[in-house]
Amino acid sequence: MSEVVKLQLIGLTIVGMGIVILLFVRAQFARVIGFVAIVLGLFSLVALAVPQMASLPPAEEKFDIATVKTPTDMAAIGQKIFFSKGQCALCHSIGPSESARCPDLKGIGAKLSREFIFESLTQPQAYIYLDYRHEGPPKEYPARMPYINKNPIGLTKNEILSVIAFLQQMSGEPISVSPSELEVPGQAPKAPVKAEDAAPVAVAHAR
Amino acid sequence: MRHQGGHLQRLLRALRRQGGWLPAWVFAAGLLAVPALGLAAEGTTAGPVDYRDIPGIGSRNIVWVIAQLHLLLAGFVLGVPIFAWLCEIVGWKSGEKRYDKLAKEFTKLLTSSYATTALFGGILLFLLIGFYPKLMNYLTDIFFPSFVFYCILFLLETATLYLYWYGWDAMQDGGKKTFHIFLGFLLNLFAFFIMIVPNSWATFQASPVVIAEGTDIQRAWAATWNPTWWPVNIHRLIANVVLGGYICGAYAGIRYLAARNAEERDHYDWMGYVGNFIGVFGLLPLPFAGYWLMREIYQYNQQMGITLMGGFLSWLFILQAMLIGVLFLGSNYYFWLGITHRIPGSEGQYKKPIMTMLVILLLCLGVWMTPHSLVASLEEARKMGGTHHPLLGVFGVMSAKMTVANLMILVTFMSFIMYWRAGKQETATWAKVARSVMGAVLILAGIAVIVLGVWGYFVPAIIRINYFSTSQVLIVLFVMLTITPLTALLLKSARTTTEMVWGRMPPRAGYALVLNAVMVILLMTLMGYARSSSRVHWHIYGVMRDSSQYAFSPALGYAAAFMALNTFLFCMLVAFIFWVATMGDKAKAGPGVSKGDLPHGMPAMAGGAPHDTDQRS
Repeated sequence: MSEVVKLQLIGLTIVGMGIVILLFVRAQFARVIGFVAIVLGLFSLVALAVPQMASLPPAEEKFDIATVKTPTDMAAIGQKIFFSKGQCALCHSIGPSESARCPDLKGIGAKLSREFIFESLTQPQAYIYLDYRHEGPPKEYPARMPYINKNPIGLTKNEILSVIAFLQQMSGEPISVSPSELEVPGQAPKAPVKAEDAAPVAVAHAR
Repeated sequence: MRHQGGHLQRLLRALRRQGGWLPAWVFAAGLLAVPALGLAAEGTTAGPVDYRDIPGIGSRNIVWVIAQLHLLLAGFVLGVPIFAWLCEIVGWKSGEKRYDKLAKEFTKLLTSSYATTALFGGILLFLLIGFYPKLMNYLTDIFFPSFVFYCILFLLETATLYLYWYGWDAMQDGGKKTFHIFLGFLLNLFAFFIMIVPNSWATFQASPVVIAEGTDIQRAWAATWNPTWWPVNIHRLIANVVLGGYICGAYAGIRYLAARNAEERDHYDWMGYVGNFIGVFGLLPLPFAGYWLMREIYQYNQQMGITLMGGFLSWLFILQAMLIGVLFLGSNYYFWLGITHRIPGSEGQYKKPIMTMLVILLLCLGVWMTPHSLVASLEEARKMGGTHHPLLGVFGVMSAKMTVANLMILVTFMSFIMYWRAGKQETATWAKVARSVMGAVLILAGIAVIVLGVWGYFVPAIIRINYFSTSQVLIVLFVMLTITPLTALLLKSARTTTEMVWGRMPPRAGYALVLNAVMVILLMTLMGYARSSSRVHWHIYGVMRDSSQYAFSPALGYAAAFMALNTFLFCMLVAFIFWVATMGDKAKAGPGVSKGDLPHGMPAMAGGAPHDTDQRS
């Protein structure tokens, strides 16, 4: 029996108990408790009826340098990072979207050089794309691009290169990053996800 | 072995002799020993410990329950003084003793509830230090100056509370009463600071500002003044007023249901009205404060905003819509019951407007609860051409939801105005003009809100958020700020045509009050989960990652079970506090003691006749 089914049974039992109290008990306080039980039980049942999604911490993509043989291997890892740890898909669409809060990334790997993409990810305020999806003068997109190599996202250089490989592959371009550029663990800075490494973050915006 | 067997037999005999008590004590002792087992398990590791846990129960679950109870109690303890102080001022200004009596009745609760809140705060602190030593060490390092300030505030609050409560009867006349009102002000001022200081610790975890340089005080101040601090402060302040009002209403509702005579029914009917009124008074601006908070979150960090509104927490906001919708319906329903039962002969007169408002509220609730993406099977999704319903899909976006939220506020406000004006006839010469102006303002505002809402579909999100939604909020505020004083002026010279009579509400009115309180508590537990989950796998967003086994946010169904449990426990705690606090009164009153100073079949002050002179001191 799944956890949801167990909780649904508990919820139904609580609602049932509440109904029994209201039907057979005359003491006012007990009746109020029965009423509250029905309300809380129904609330739980409604909450159990909607899609059940837990938020898990992002899986760390293991970079076993020995197994990454080709740029396509890097693109495959980059695709996973794009939709998970990198959180890129939260704001960016791949293909036109009216509701997207950031620029469309379809074909971006063909339009931009790898150096430019790297700069966009690590120094997002260096060059800001404007939104031309509406009439009148272009405006800034509502979402501000975060520094992807800093916390809370904190991609490593290997991960960023993999994302670039994915963007290029997705755009039908030859992948210009190579597995030989990957930093071997122990010879490069560690991933900045450990609390002790992350201590002083940049001062948050002062508006 | 024989010796041990003898012990066992003696123990079993003792258990039998003691009936149910001894096993209960043994069980309780076992429960108390559970933490020791858990902590001992972690104690074998060498070096500093990042986390401790209690296997089976889970440290996160325990902290969840205790923190939520502490927060709800704190909301109650901070909301009640605002409620009591407002009642005291009304009583002082109007001369109606029953307001003063009501204020005193609720202040009495403060002493026991204050201690209970502090107790849960202490338990929470010990648990946090025990379960999350590394996190607490970090927070202490940053916030130590504010810890000291917090302790001083507690001393001041405690001293003021003692003076306010124990000096109530001694400070009833002349200048002393003014001083007592001032003490009430101080009580609320210190309480406000007691609220905002820990808010800074909590909001820092979501939107941290960390500076590496500067003195301890400079670092603490920078961390305190983080981007979501003030939006949360304002939101919680208003929410506490709402909580205090609705809990007063629920208490009155329960007492009304259990009332044994007409005097009690009158008194608790009136108390229920006051509680509901203050709850609604706070509820109307609350969505605006929530909107501001959400805006600040988006501006601070888009990913966090999207996680909340469009990510795995998006369904939470459908639940929130349901709870708020029920709360609006419950509050309006109580107003409507008041109009039809407290004002004799008005049943038919207000039937049509009430039905119209009910239909509008239900339609608005339907739109608010429409999800952006529907839960659909693969087959259904294929037929719809995606998870967005071809017709209902348009209601699942923010433009529609902002519009109906504003309309629901407008309707609730008009319910209140209708209740206020019921049973009176305006005598001012300019009454007709005023009524026309109010009608025009209301209709134009409703149209403007809808037009902006529809227009919002055709403009970029940034325009809608920055201009359209803000304009909708300002329009609704304008309506309130125009119609309220105008109605007050009109009613100043109004003639009472039908006296309002207390104690005639049907039992379902009592249940409506209880329902409203439960909705508010559930909402607080729900939004607590949202606030905590928006940090995803971070203790301090972007600064200190949660590397424990609980570095995930559970699904909504599991979380809802905890919310329901916490709500139930809090209701029981509050019921216990009320019971303890009123135990002495019941003993003092005894059977058959006159309650002559309570209103019996008397006209009302707010919402009723203003001429109940024999209630004035």
